[in-house]
Amino acid sequence: MLSRQASQKIPSMASSSTPKYNSNSLESSSVKRTPKDGTNWEQNEEIPRLPGETRITDKEVIYMCPFNGPIKGRVYITNYRLYLRSVEKESIVILDVPLGVISRIEKMGGASSRGENSYGLDITCKDMRNLRFALKQEGHSRRDIFEVLTKYAFPQSHNLPFFAFVNEEKFSENGWMVYNPMSEYRRQVLSWIHPENQAVIMRCSQPLVGMGGKRNKDDEKYLDIIREANGQISKLTIYDARPNVNAVANKATGGGYESEDAYPNAELFFLDIHNIHVMRESLKKLKDIVYPNVEESHWLSSLESTHWLEHIKLVLTGAIQVADKVSSGKSSVLVHCSDGWDRTAQLTSLAMLMLDSYYRTVVGFEVLVQKEWISFGHKFASRIGHGDKNHADADRSPIFLQFIDCVWQMSKQFPTAFEFNEQFLITILDHLYSCRFGTFLYSCESARDREKVAEKTLSLWSLINSEKAKYINPFYTKELNRALYPVASMRHLELWVNYYIRWNPRIRQQQPNPVEQRYMELLALRDDYVRRLEELQITNNTKISSSSTSSASPSQMVSHVQTHL
Amino acid sequence: MEFSELIKTAKVENVLLSGPGVPAVKGTLCITSHHLLLSSQPGGDGEQGTVELWLLIRNVDAVEKRFASSSGTITLKCKDLRVLQLEIPGMEECLNIASSIEALSSVESVMMMYPFFYRPHSMKLEQGWHLYLPHHYYQQVVAETSAWRLSSVNRDFATCPTYPSAIIVPAVVDDEALRKIAHFRQGGRFPVLSYYHKKNQTAGTGEGLDQPSCPSISAPQVMLRSGQPLMGPNKKRCQEDELLLKAALCGRARGFVIDTRSAQAAKQARMTGGGSEPKAAYLGWKRLHRPLESRGRPLQESFMKLVEACNDPSLGMDRWLSKLESSKWLSHVKAALSTACLAAQCMEREEACILVHGAEGTDTTLLVTALAQVILDPDCRTLVGFQHLLEREWIQAGHPFHLRCAHSAYSHARLKQEAPVFLLFLDCVGQLGRQFPFSLEFSERLLLALFENSYASAYGTFLCNSEKERSLCKVKETTHSLWSWLNQPNQQKEYLNPLYSYNALVIWPSVEPQSLQLWQGLFLQWIRSSQYLDEAWAEIQRLVEGSETPTRTNGAAHSQLLLPH
Repeated sequence: MLSRQASQKIPSMASSSTPKYNSNSLESSSVKRTPKDGTNWEQNEEIPRLPGETRITDKEVIYMCPFNGPIKGRVYITNYRLYLRSVEKESIVILDVPLGVISRIEKMGGASSRGENSYGLDITCKDMRNLRFALKQEGHSRRDIFEVLTKYAFPQSHNLPFFAFVNEEKFSENGWMVYNPMSEYRRQVLSWIHPENQAVIMRCSQPLVGMGGKRNKDDEKYLDIIREANGQISKLTIYDARPNVNAVANKATGGGYESEDAYPNAELFFLDIHNIHVMRESLKKLKDIVYPNVEESHWLSSLESTHWLEHIKLVLTGAIQVADKVSSGKSSVLVHCSDGWDRTAQLTSLAMLMLDSYYRTVVGFEVLVQKEWISFGHKFASRIGHGDKNHADADRSPIFLQFIDCVWQMSKQFPTAFEFNEQFLITILDHLYSCRFGTFLYSCESARDREKVAEKTLSLWSLINSEKAKYINPFYTKELNRALYPVASMRHLELWVNYYIRWNPRIRQQQPNPVEQRYMELLALRDDYVRRLEELQITNNTKISSSSTSSASPSQMVSHVQTHL
Repeated sequence: MEFSELIKTAKVENVLLSGPGVPAVKGTLCITSHHLLLSSQPGGDGEQGTVELWLLIRNVDAVEKRFASSSGTITLKCKDLRVLQLEIPGMEECLNIASSIEALSSVESVMMMYPFFYRPHSMKLEQGWHLYLPHHYYQQVVAETSAWRLSSVNRDFATCPTYPSAIIVPAVVDDEALRKIAHFRQGGRFPVLSYYHKKNQTAGTGEGLDQPSCPSISAPQVMLRSGQPLMGPNKKRCQEDELLLKAALCGRARGFVIDTRSAQAAKQARMTGGGSEPKAAYLGWKRLHRPLESRGRPLQESFMKLVEACNDPSLGMDRWLSKLESSKWLSHVKAALSTACLAAQCMEREEACILVHGAEGTDTTLLVTALAQVILDPDCRTLVGFQHLLEREWIQAGHPFHLRCAHSAYSHARLKQEAPVFLLFLDCVGQLGRQFPFSLEFSERLLLALFENSYASAYGTFLCNSEKERSLCKVKETTHSLWSWLNQPNQQKEYLNPLYSYNALVIWPSVEPQSLQLWQGLFLQWIRSSQYLDEAWAEIQRLVEGSETPTRTNGAAHSQLLLPH
């Protein structure tokens, strides 16, 4: 087994064979709502501050808003955020940016630069926007603010802790309890087992074949045992996420793929998904056409030339193949790419989302992220570059963002299949960068254990599960065991405008948008509906036989009763 | 002419029918004067005697034949964009069937069309035809102001052949003056009231809040439409026309003429007798040019190109977006919506009067005036209100449906005056519905039904080019109205949006290219199954209806919340 690159963690044994369905999923409305985003507002200055957040400095600046022109304001820097409030009281402009989203800080102009507002700071963010502040061109006015920002935006480069370690927020739920690998009966490399045909999805990294065509008897035997484990006569299917040529090229660096000679009982398919560098460049191109201004005249062909949707399509297509093989082909599947923590994680987690409705619930999705991404060692620290000033690091790549985009595409095509809404996905992405929670920090479990992340930081799932109602899709209909295969054709994929172009005020409908309010109202309607059904059910049951009082959970009743309507 | 002369073969056995999304089925093909039927036969795949296809022959846009030894294949490309294939044994039968369909589908005479023969049991003739009459709208206007009157100068359609018999004009302009103005406007289309904007209804909308409306201005905003003034190269003037527009201002300082041609095109039109209102002659009126494609080729070609791209199975994923862009369809959507927004803005924000015209005033003019009303007026966003709008601003306003919808996107016939202007309108309304999911009372299904019926229908509503022609053909006496069918309670339910909640505000859409989407429900309707979306829709309907009774009060409170105080 050591012949697999970057040896995945040795799996641990676990118990409990099926995922636990959360029967409380419909009772979310009873959760008390904490003040907005858990922040408190200081009386005199009205600057939001989290418990544990301390103010470092503030300064008068001009915010060069790309949409509304220069705006005079005061910027406040804390150990967590950059907060700008405009001086003008009539139409207040507020910027509230966690320092974690900052990727790069540059000085623009010099002391002798001419032109209005040409001296200041240019900040590149990881969440598809740039911020530009102009300062007075005298007395090195930007020096201290530049230094403070650099220090707190990149704590890892300055021997400072992440904000997550000083965050003193309190939540009613403990998100670290959501996922417990020890309580799951499965080898950890085993991702998912089909409840009926016992076919499994497994993951690993590429075999270290190399130019000489090295073989490893144990690995060959191991794969054969897996194949036999579910009494399978057919071959084991191996999906290599890479394009064929890349796999061949990887031989030169000691990697490669399973050859037919060495693995006669396995079938190998390539899924043509490109590597992290291609994805990073694609997203960079996408940002170029959407921020600050949208390329209007040739919008669609510009979008096409970023290839972003094409990559989404390939990832989805790959996941569909994996899922389909397991569920209808009744064959076990092994998925790998080069390292086994990027494309592999995308494919296995999406396939699981397609096959198992549990993962389409709020808690199920949290478990999925925790298991397939965090536990399995997707290198969040290097892909995101948390607190690290090296913005040009070649290890950075939007792999997780791409996964969330795929989930969003699925939720568009199946509007009632997901318990969570778009806000849930956006919140996850926002805190992927914010460093307010420990959830996405570090690249592997051993580093997290070393840093005592679970003890010293809060989990993002604590925030979400404490105010779950905000993240619930009012149209969610619980249904079990239906595999969902999205249409992964370009014609049916859309750019996720509400995420990628959300900073642009022009994409919004120009009125106070009642959509969220209506959603909340519908949620309330639904909860009320469920409650009444429950009452009805109980009175009915007592009528029919007083002995067999219903012990069914409300959610079971919904699916039961709704089929009769 | 007798239909039987056109039918060369009325019945063929063993015909194999295949179409998108359904399994191929074998059966007996019959041709009647208006329909093509296929019922499955013993030994076929379906149940014996089941009618598998019931196609209105008028719906056939193009017939393509292909032969192989002893059998032939006919491909029927329908106006609703569906593509069907019939495999017919026997060369001669195949040829006969093809030429019968061709002949029947291209019958020119309106009186020979199906609506004149369609006599369903459940409906009475003349029902629905009186649902909307011009004086109904006038009654709403006269309740507010006495500045306008209902004129019957066009009683016998002599003054303007494309106007209805009764029209609303400024009270100070008498019929004699109207006759004179009719000579000065193309097609006799003198300026008439299109929309009366009751400001109090939408008072204080959105950004309107920060510009307190001047209480001294009590005159409401009005929108007029007309044909272009026939100035010609000598810059002819018409005093009565100038007086009419002066009267329309109601003492207001400003009015805008929105010309749906470019400034240059409007100037060039003088060479052929047309033109646009010169500033000097029309005091207070300012001209705005917003070129929209409507008449003739460009729009029809855009439609054809788009449908071709949607139906091209060989299209690689990387070329879809650029094909979509090069069809220019979405640019037409954008142009139409932005011009309508401009008109709405002039009324709502500038509090000015509007006159909209292009050349004839029967195409883009109606597109703009009708769309502006959907944006401004919540009454037009109800199921019934929308029908009224269609009657008032499209059908009775003289949009030449017969000419424009003679062929759809597949026809090989030489283009005459076909143009999908009405389809473009429906698409724009759909975009509004997508951006404001709770503000339209009707659903996408209504828009689809309207599209289909405008091209081929069992009802008389969209027949002919004007009220004059409808009266000559006795459409109202001898055909059924689409509205009376749509408004049957069980039908109506199909077309309602379950999420609708009355929104008194103006709905300003975003017209940025990334906010506008391809109408998948129409253009990709036959390409992929919408099963999941339909299920989701049904689920939402069930959810909302199920919770309706006890939460009525809730909903009422909510709609009040939306009204700004």
